[in-house]
Amino acid sequence: MRRPHRRIETQLTVVGTGIAGFAAALFARARGLDVAQVGHSGALAYTTGYLDLLGVADGRKIADPWAGLDALRMTEPGHPFGRLANADIRAALDAFIGEVNAMGLGYTPAGAANLTALLPYGVTKPTLSLPETMWPGAAALAERAPALIVDFAGLQGFSAAEFAANMAAVWPGLATARLAFPGMESLQVFPEPMARALETRETRAAFVARLRPHLGAVTHVGLPAILGVHRPDTVRAALEAELGVTLFEIPTIPPGVPGIRLRELFERHLPGRGVALEPNLKAAEARLDPSGITLALHGPMEDLDIRAEAVVLATGRFLSGGLRAERSGIRETLFGLPVAQPDGREAWFRPAYFDPRGHPVNRLGLTVDDRFRPLDAAGAPVHPRLHAAGAVLAGQDWARSRSGAGLAIASAWAAVNAAGAELGSSPGDPGPTTAPGAAPAQEPGTA
Amino acid sequence: MSDHETDVLIIGAGATGAGVMRDLALRGIASLLIDRRDLNAGASGGNHGLLHSGGRYAATDTATAAECRIEGEILKRVAPQCIDDCGGLFVAVEGDDPDFAARFPAACAAAGIACEALTPDEARAREPALPQTLIAAYAVPDATIDPFRLVLENVAHAEALGLGRYLPHTAVEGFETDAGRIVAAQARDLRTGAPFRIAVREVVNAGGTWAGRIAALAGCDEVRLLGSKGTLIIANTRIAKGVINRLRPPGDGDILVPGGTVSILGTSSVTLRDPDDAAARAPTAAEVDRILDEGSAMLPVLAETRFVRAFSGVRPLLLSDAAEEDGRKASRGFTLYDHEGQGLANFCTIVGGKLTTFRLMAEKTADLVAARLGVVAPCRTATEPLPSGPGLGWTAPGASARDWMARADATDTILCECEMVARSAVDEIVARAPGHEDHMSLDAIARRSRIGKGACQGAFCSMRVTSHLYDAGVYEGAEGLGEMRRFIDGRYRGVRPVLWGAGLAQTELAEILHVGLAGLDLLNDDAPEDPR
Amino acid sequence: MNAPTERPEIDFLAVARALMPAGATTDACVGCGLCASGCPAAGLFGMDPRRFVNMAALGMNEALSTTPWVWACTQCKRCAYVCPMGIDVSLLVGVARGAWPDDEKPKGIVRSCAAQRLDASTSAMGVRSEDFVEIVEETAEELRESDPRFADLRVPMDRKGAMFVVNQNSREPAVEPEEMGPMWKIFDYVGADWTYSSKGWAAENFCMFTGDDAAWKEMVETRVDAINALEPQVWINTECGHSFYTLWKGIERFGLEAKFEAGSLVSYYAQWIREGKLPVNADWNTLGVKFTVQDPCQLVRKSLGDQAAEDLRFVVKTLVGEENFIDMTPSRQANYCCGGGGGFLQAGMNDERRAYGKRKFDQIAATEAAYVLTPCHNCHSQIEDIGGHYHGAYHVTHLWTLICLSLGILGPDERKYLGPELAGINLPEEA
Repeated sequence: MRRPHRRIETQLTVVGTGIAGFAAALFARARGLDVAQVGHSGALAYTTGYLDLLGVADGRKIADPWAGLDALRMTEPGHPFGRLANADIRAALDAFIGEVNAMGLGYTPAGAANLTALLPYGVTKPTLSLPETMWPGAAALAERAPALIVDFAGLQGFSAAEFAANMAAVWPGLATARLAFPGMESLQVFPEPMARALETRETRAAFVARLRPHLGAVTHVGLPAILGVHRPDTVRAALEAELGVTLFEIPTIPPGVPGIRLRELFERHLPGRGVALEPNLKAAEARLDPSGITLALHGPMEDLDIRAEAVVLATGRFLSGGLRAERSGIRETLFGLPVAQPDGREAWFRPAYFDPRGHPVNRLGLTVDDRFRPLDAAGAPVHPRLHAAGAVLAGQDWARSRSGAGLAIASAWAAVNAAGAELGSSPGDPGPTTAPGAAPAQEPGTA
Repeated sequence: MSDHETDVLIIGAGATGAGVMRDLALRGIASLLIDRRDLNAGASGGNHGLLHSGGRYAATDTATAAECRIEGEILKRVAPQCIDDCGGLFVAVEGDDPDFAARFPAACAAAGIACEALTPDEARAREPALPQTLIAAYAVPDATIDPFRLVLENVAHAEALGLGRYLPHTAVEGFETDAGRIVAAQARDLRTGAPFRIAVREVVNAGGTWAGRIAALAGCDEVRLLGSKGTLIIANTRIAKGVINRLRPPGDGDILVPGGTVSILGTSSVTLRDPDDAAARAPTAAEVDRILDEGSAMLPVLAETRFVRAFSGVRPLLLSDAAEEDGRKASRGFTLYDHEGQGLANFCTIVGGKLTTFRLMAEKTADLVAARLGVVAPCRTATEPLPSGPGLGWTAPGASARDWMARADATDTILCECEMVARSAVDEIVARAPGHEDHMSLDAIARRSRIGKGACQGAFCSMRVTSHLYDAGVYEGAEGLGEMRRFIDGRYRGVRPVLWGAGLAQTELAEILHVGLAGLDLLNDDAPEDPR
Repeated sequence: MNAPTERPEIDFLAVARALMPAGATTDACVGCGLCASGCPAAGLFGMDPRRFVNMAALGMNEALSTTPWVWACTQCKRCAYVCPMGIDVSLLVGVARGAWPDDEKPKGIVRSCAAQRLDASTSAMGVRSEDFVEIVEETAEELRESDPRFADLRVPMDRKGAMFVVNQNSREPAVEPEEMGPMWKIFDYVGADWTYSSKGWAAENFCMFTGDDAAWKEMVETRVDAINALEPQVWINTECGHSFYTLWKGIERFGLEAKFEAGSLVSYYAQWIREGKLPVNADWNTLGVKFTVQDPCQLVRKSLGDQAAEDLRFVVKTLVGEENFIDMTPSRQANYCCGGGGGFLQAGMNDERRAYGKRKFDQIAATEAAYVLTPCHNCHSQIEDIGGHYHGAYHVTHLWTLICLSLGILGPDERKYLGPELAGINLPEEA
């Protein structure tokens, strides 16, 4: 059978569908660029949903990420944040949060100081912006509000008792309850189907009936993140109206809802914003030439060539496939870009897992210039319009420093702006954009 | 902790110590077994689980080979539940010395070991993973043994007879002697830090690599040991049906031992002066590469296989017999010191030997102790079947998965998905397994189950089990997270040398879980530092 | 379907190594559970995709070869979609299905495959080639008589050199021939150069679902030969169905020579609308009736990707009005299988199938739409069934029904899937 061969021409192609990739696609559309995006599932699936900027420095939680960034530029000159000004980082975060809010997923604005966000085992982390469904938990903690923590029979790895026990020192008196989720009794349950079920009136009503007897005198109820996938803010509001308490979500271990929420949000809205999105195809091969970059993709039924004048590479690290480690060394998988690395595996990891300095391997990646272009061994850009963003960048340890989303968004901003300038586009309105004639479909009513 | 009194104090809860405990119990003698860490924490848990046919020593040490053969046959009779009688092959590939290979059948015959010559095609039919470069192959009655179940059942049997008690994380710090006899051991509970006294009639030192130090605490300087670090790597899949040995003088990467659902490739040999030198004891990337490069010549599939961890055991070898301090050439035989020449009449040390010969070592030791106590009952361990019981059957790879599938109880939530360990198995261990106690550590649970042993090496199950233990009331306050952190760090030390490919992606996810979601790197752990 | 008798021992790890691309084998699994979380069959028979992978690693080959779960997995490949490594558990499921002795496989699937092999028609419902020709001609005659506007309608059969060869799901000729009419009218309306083939015309392939590769291949060969003989440019699969996937995938997998392209009718609807040949609109929907659409896994995730989903939405939005279209979430390539695929509908495991379908039902319920448009026949049946079972208040219709409704050419007897509020709308003037 003749295997169809499709060819797409774009100004900018984003490779990768994590936070950095989606941010890059949104920023590029806002600049009016013609954008394609390709990728597949990856580490985005494992996010808490929090947007961190800089939460930890020198092994300690920090309250002011902006001051932390200033300090970081002094202590770690090679850090990607060192190539970005705070004003640009703030503009990038504001733009991204604005886009996400416009798509219907509420996030708190990025402020001047870190917030104290809840983690599943009753500890906290500093982060800059919270989903609206999780923000009340941080607020409740701050005021030590009388709260009930709920867990579910058959849900692996989330225990209200554990949360309460570990939180007891700072938030004493938390009540706990275990519910069987309506329609999923006597089963192993996952947050995702629970969240989807709560998008229906019927399940919400049954859930309210089961939760109500446990409320007692609490003003707040904390749940694992199950308040809907698609319109969590509406689901939360509907339940709160019935229950008369404030609900908040606590992130869970994978497979959790926050990452699924974000991925589906972007997949749902980006095509309507004029992004030619292939969310289920990894770029298989790439070819650089002076006038641009050609990516080859192999779908189930057709081959696809994407010809791009510029590329933002946001393929992530080992989990997402942007980097690959062999016994003999680490390589970048799509372009074979240089990855500066020590001699031998023994130096990748420190002997102690929780060494506060983190592991050297987590700082390996692509070295870039001020325009976020990967450099060759001689220190020159590999290609004038090949840029990189996100976790694949060298010189940062996003997990230990709690800076994943901030790094992804800010580096995507910088990479797109550099690419846009090269392509002759002017910075557009960084606010939400909608492609002409592509109004989004109406969303299911959940009120 | 309150003071104890026992007829026989056995120090060291490896296979030998556990074997002595059961042997004594079967003779009607009560004992107290203690270990500074836990069951099988030393070489008994750090080996490939091979139940030797003797073939491996046939060419170099006929006596040890014959001893292995006889003991192997006994264990297959009395403890079949711990053994997979899978058979083994000795194979040579192109580049190996054909003369060495040719001498193998005669060497086996000398030790009484059944040995069947196979053509390369026959060998490949039996083990499809063998390469085209095969030049010689012999089948021998090798088998594999689960050292964890073996030790658990030995201890449990003694306890069930009402003549044994086991205390983990209990160290001996000194002995009180009087008139040529040890009257008590000064012990310490390393978890609480509390010192206590154990009044004794007899003391057995089965401390393995640490036996020399324990003997020295009693003033005996005659136990001189060489530590030989052996590193092995483990895949979470079964690559071969039976044991596959390389038919050449012992070297790195020359044996692959399947164990239930896993495969263990070994072994390197590095001399170790100080058994407590954690850095030197840890497996290294270089050792892993050496093992893997060598092993791939024998089994090319190993180059494509995912390995989930490396581990090292320190073999206690008798220094007096060690030629040029080369661990591979030192004797695999064992020695029982009665210490009478050193002025102690109720102290003995059993050291050396192999997992395969643990029963015989225990028998000889118990013979001495019984005689000293005036008990005439003979040893029964060669004929008395080793019984199983609750909390003992969860260590075999694949056992919990098969059990869960057979019971088909969806409400019995699986806590470890890789190895399919259900909540009920953890509950049973916490309630009934030898050494169970309040606030039981994740490490202790893992030692008695497959928790933390699969592809994710505890990344997920550490979290799920901890949550469950909070629900079950086993953990309170902040102790569970500290426990989680200690357990994960412990697993990591074995994972570290095999981090590439899928393993590195797995570890990146682990970092997201443990740092990002659990915040364990910033844990304000008020609990005392792990003494281990 | 209880314990097994004799069956071949399958080494699932070896299968994984052979069938799965490098980097996406079972070895690549990081155990995160996204596959299980995202699988509507998770939990049925205590199994889920992650357990399938782990049990392969644990060497539990017999358990995997005997678990009835393989008949509850619809092989929709959503696990591969959500997996960061792209591990496609359905490949292992297909092999496990093949290991079952025929007499222990779900009888409905086996019988359907057997029926397909009896006649060159390849019909799972036993409609033979000559019956098909006769039913088509009789139905066309009735249509010509009942609707003067289509008095000259021709339904070409075995016409060599036509641009399109179109297949036909057996359900219509077998039990509701009047449902063929709308598609013919659409072809007539746009002046399509098309033909049926009297051989290999049936748009179903249960042989793939039996896990019997030889039977799957036989089915595809029969069809490819029949289509090749007519020398079309394009083979158009009717409004989806697994027959689309089984044909192109079979051609690729078995290395067959097909001298045509494979196309989806939905994409041609979209093309004809864009070209102005199908001047449909939503003017008829004065009541503002709300519609949602089911993305068929076989068409979207497993074959054409979001392009097909985009075409589907374009057609639907044009037909019902942008404001009356409510998307399910998730959708497009991330859509959930309804539970009608993989032979599940024919497998006789109704409790499990409906438990599987609960997620689809919840998705539909969350849209609060009055109609679900399903191109795919199995989706159609399953979504109707779970609607009844879980007391949903929606109707299920094909696209051709709405296209003809919009064009004012949908006859009174072609409205069986419409609810009362639409039954009388836009009736043909002279009917």
